[in-house]
Amino acid sequence: MSNNLRKEAVIIPILTSAWRLIKGNPAIWAIFGLVIIFSSVVPERFLSTGNLVAILKNFAVTSMLAVGPTFVILLGSIDVSYMGIWMFGGALVWLLYPYLGLASIFIYPIFGLLIGLFNGVVHVKARIPSFILTLAMTAVLAFLTTYVRNVSGVLTLTVPAYNFLRESPIPYVPSPFLLALPTIAIAIFLMFFTKLGTYLCAIGSNEEGAKLAGINVEKYKILAFMFSGFLVGLGSIAIFVHLGNQTRVDFDPSELVRGLAAIVLGGTPLAGGMGGPHRTLLGALVYVLIFNGLFLLPGVDPNHLKLYIGALLLGAVVIASRALKGALIA
Amino acid sequence: MAIQNLLLEAKNISKTFDNVVRALDAVTIEVRKNEILSIVGENGAGKSTLMKILVGVYQPDSGELYYGGRRIPFPKNPIEALRRGITIVYQERGVIPHLKVYQFLFLGLEEKFTRLGRLQLEKIIGITKSVFDELGVRCDLGSYMYELPLSIQKMVEIARAILSIRLAIGGESSDITPIIILDEPTAPLSIEERDELFQYILSLKKNNSFIFVSHIIPEVMRSSDRIYVLRDGKLVAHHDLSIEKISEDQLFREIVGRVSYYELYAGHEYGIAEAKGKPIILSVRNLTKKGYYQDITFDVREGECIGLFGPAGCGKSEVAKTLYGELLADGGKIIVDNREVSIKGEPHSRLSRGIGYFSGETGKELFLYWPIKKNVSIVNFEKVVRRPLKIVSVISFKAEKILAEKIVKKLRIKAPSVEAECYSLSGGSKQKVSVGKWLERSPKILILEDPTIGIDVGAREDIYEVLLEMKKNGISLVLVSDDPKEYAILCDKVVLMRDGKLQKVYTNEDFRKVMEL
Amino acid sequence: MKEAVLSRERFQRNLNTIIPITGLILLMIGLRMANPYFLASWDSVITLVYGMSFFLIAACGLTFVILMGSFDFSVPSVLKLSAMIFAVLYPSIGFLSIPVALAVSLVFGSVNGLLLARFNIPSFMATLATSMVAEGAAQVISGGYTRMITDPAFRSLSTTMIAGLPSIFYWAIAIWLISIFLTFATPFGRAIYAVGGNLVGARLAGINVKMVRILVFMLCSLFAGISGILYASQIQAGHMQVGVLDMIPLFASVVVGGTALTGGVGGVHRTLLGVLIIRWLDSGLSMIAIDLNVRMIVFGAIAIVMAILTIDRRRIKIMK
Repeated sequence: MSNNLRKEAVIIPILTSAWRLIKGNPAIWAIFGLVIIFSSVVPERFLSTGNLVAILKNFAVTSMLAVGPTFVILLGSIDVSYMGIWMFGGALVWLLYPYLGLASIFIYPIFGLLIGLFNGVVHVKARIPSFILTLAMTAVLAFLTTYVRNVSGVLTLTVPAYNFLRESPIPYVPSPFLLALPTIAIAIFLMFFTKLGTYLCAIGSNEEGAKLAGINVEKYKILAFMFSGFLVGLGSIAIFVHLGNQTRVDFDPSELVRGLAAIVLGGTPLAGGMGGPHRTLLGALVYVLIFNGLFLLPGVDPNHLKLYIGALLLGAVVIASRALKGALIA
Repeated sequence: MAIQNLLLEAKNISKTFDNVVRALDAVTIEVRKNEILSIVGENGAGKSTLMKILVGVYQPDSGELYYGGRRIPFPKNPIEALRRGITIVYQERGVIPHLKVYQFLFLGLEEKFTRLGRLQLEKIIGITKSVFDELGVRCDLGSYMYELPLSIQKMVEIARAILSIRLAIGGESSDITPIIILDEPTAPLSIEERDELFQYILSLKKNNSFIFVSHIIPEVMRSSDRIYVLRDGKLVAHHDLSIEKISEDQLFREIVGRVSYYELYAGHEYGIAEAKGKPIILSVRNLTKKGYYQDITFDVREGECIGLFGPAGCGKSEVAKTLYGELLADGGKIIVDNREVSIKGEPHSRLSRGIGYFSGETGKELFLYWPIKKNVSIVNFEKVVRRPLKIVSVISFKAEKILAEKIVKKLRIKAPSVEAECYSLSGGSKQKVSVGKWLERSPKILILEDPTIGIDVGAREDIYEVLLEMKKNGISLVLVSDDPKEYAILCDKVVLMRDGKLQKVYTNEDFRKVMEL
Repeated sequence: MKEAVLSRERFQRNLNTIIPITGLILLMIGLRMANPYFLASWDSVITLVYGMSFFLIAACGLTFVILMGSFDFSVPSVLKLSAMIFAVLYPSIGFLSIPVALAVSLVFGSVNGLLLARFNIPSFMATLATSMVAEGAAQVISGGYTRMITDPAFRSLSTTMIAGLPSIFYWAIAIWLISIFLTFATPFGRAIYAVGGNLVGARLAGINVKMVRILVFMLCSLFAGISGILYASQIQAGHMQVGVLDMIPLFASVVVGGTALTGGVGGVHRTLLGVLIIRWLDSGLSMIAIDLNVRMIVFGAIAIVMAILTIDRRRIKIMK
């Protein structure tokens, strides 16, 4: 083994980690499997240009909800405030557009960052279980959004001025997908090319050990929540554009599950310590392929969507629970 | 002595906690270049306090520190200690399982390898490779820590300690001999892995000094150059193995101290159960768990106490945990009352077959925020439950209170009432509540793990009295402890274990002779 | 020094009781001042009773789960599913649909319990998934719209007047009392507190932790099912509007009562207090025409603040 190490110090780890990536990510096999199944069962519908573009769009939306929170899941905590950031951030853009003009879209990442900061500080300092805290945050923001819609007397919170964002400069590549790319790039950079990714894994894997290694655990926990909020805010721009320059105004729990399912399907265990945004991207693709393909199949009733989503999440968490054996779970 | 070899000297260190507990009393030690120094002692002897002072976690009340003959202040935090070339590898919890080897090696040390927030991975991997080549750690850099064997994990931890000292000191690293404290490094390792780790430490001796904190005597004897023995915060002995030879027994006696046999139990007779031919309650046959213990076989009669005795790491506490269902054995049989018990069972199924468990570790089995009476009745529902309609069990609060009051009175627990919450009690009283509930329950067999750890002498005697009474009532006991006196007081038979195997069975009398108690 | 620490700890512990009671008194005074008709007539009392009874039943179930240190998101969804099964099957099989609805609820409860006990899945995640399944199932069997039932017998289950109060009130109080009895006076209740208070200790004391977890989740779902049946009977319909979001007031009423999220502290008896506070606050806020969304925000905020205040921080080393 040490002989191998004498070779180029860089290439070997990259190759081995590439092999690990494929070996350690059942999501990749799932993607191949799903593509093969659907393109053989309903080839003309599944492989049509329109459907492939739709897959790209849905992938952008799903991954944008899930990539940010992955950083928090690495800690073994959980952040479901993405629904709230996405919904109320859009309402803020709509509210502030008259004052800020086109720049108001940048409210999204700033707002996400602030919510993340709040979540992180309250979770770390007041020691509230992160799931309950961020869920309450999502609920509060979602209700606020509905409230804004109700009091302003409009049906949707649309900002038509951003219509130019909907046109993609590249044919067949939808603009939400392009808008999602910066978020993905930032997430991957943070995970693999800064110490943040390593530290978050370390804390999730063994918090006490991370403390012994001299890591400021509280600071990095708060940072994780901040980056989670920031990335969700940035990514929400893509969703905002996808939905026609508007935000959702009514809370739908199945949207909430979407992000969680993508993370879990990707193979980041809820106990934290391993995985990362790259896996979440794969998980988002699996999720999108399943639902895209499912509704192309004859005899599948879209009204039963929730049932399928529930069953899928159930299956995903059961599979993902393998990593949790032996831990004391509440 | 060769003064040029002297590296670090800590003189007359004293440390008191809460103005009461004297953890260290004028302890003086010296560390020489390129040696393995062992500091041995029982739990609570002050070993870890001393180490924490050296790495800057605690500040001593008094004392002086010399480095290379020059007086220096005590380090104020671990980072300052690191700059002086001293660091510690903790017993457990130091390894981060889900990091890759090179990530773990550089965890917290990335500052110098970051450019504009971007980690220079090539550089990190390159250094990792050269460090591992130099130190002789053989493993795949890209694998995760949890994939490595435990001994290699420990080696990587030691490599990390050396690397962190080098990075903290900077360029002139060759002038400084790092001092690395290893806190019970072999605790989680299996027997073969320990050998591997010792080979590694010996190979690193030429450039580093190690302080080896342990209470496993054979290991200490085999690998150390010098040994300090601490007992009750005082330095009781110092051996330089290059000029003198000592036996394991001698070291052992220095560690535990020679305290006269408690007169209180002089009247107690041992070996009655066997003499009277009482029936065998518990038989353990060929119990095996790979890497921990093999082929454990013994019998316990009604009202008999068997002690599993041996140095830490010999597998005795694992056997105890297996008997209670906390740990799963790979093979063998456990027979209670002539009926076999599934070795895969959980604690509740063991209790239903009459095996109870009592550990002295406070907070582990006590519900600290519950009143005494609830802690007593949690295993005694049969005694406090009424069945008015035959189908529902109702706890009678009155019966519960009477039961708890009986125990409080009997064990002389100092508490305002049985409604007092356990966290407000003293350590000894907490332990008494824990043991009292088992006294009432009277299981067939009670497994005792360190039953009197960390409590004062008075409370100890009360607990011994209770346990001896249990024996009289026909409860069989299995004892695991670090304190030989405890075995002498409680056990009819003592089973000696070493390296996971049964060695010898002593009667109480023989055991006392051997131990000179 | 130690005494001061102890008395401060005692005060902190008593906060769990002081806050809800003060809150309730202040709330009553405030509502009375804002609205002179508040609790002025018997009719208003009955309205309140209708508002809180089904809610209390479901909250009792949830309290069991929270006491155990777990969480159950599926309560409102199982409630809805059970109501829907009852309403959909009632025209064909009459009151026999009650056991069917309860059996389905129990199935959901046991799945929740098994996912936690057997597969080690954090309960909030497991129950979020099963709640989606329950929502979906309710959608499927109802076809997505509200099922009205006009049969007076259906209605009489909860609205028969006994001594001036509707029968649903007696159902709720009976279940509340049974829950109190279960938690305080039976070994099972002790085991719930033990698992919530010190999981390792509970195991070492020979409690069958897995069994307790499964039973508690089953009990919680059973209560949700009962609540759903009575609610359907009260509003004469299986309603699609109930759902996951009703989790917020439900959760709020449990923590406002003083049951800590970390488990082992609090009790079912407190939940009545919490339910009263939340329902009164709800009706008070809607009286002064405050938007439903804002009310939900208020409940969410109250829940979080109370959760912060009641959490037992000394016991937790690492909070995830």
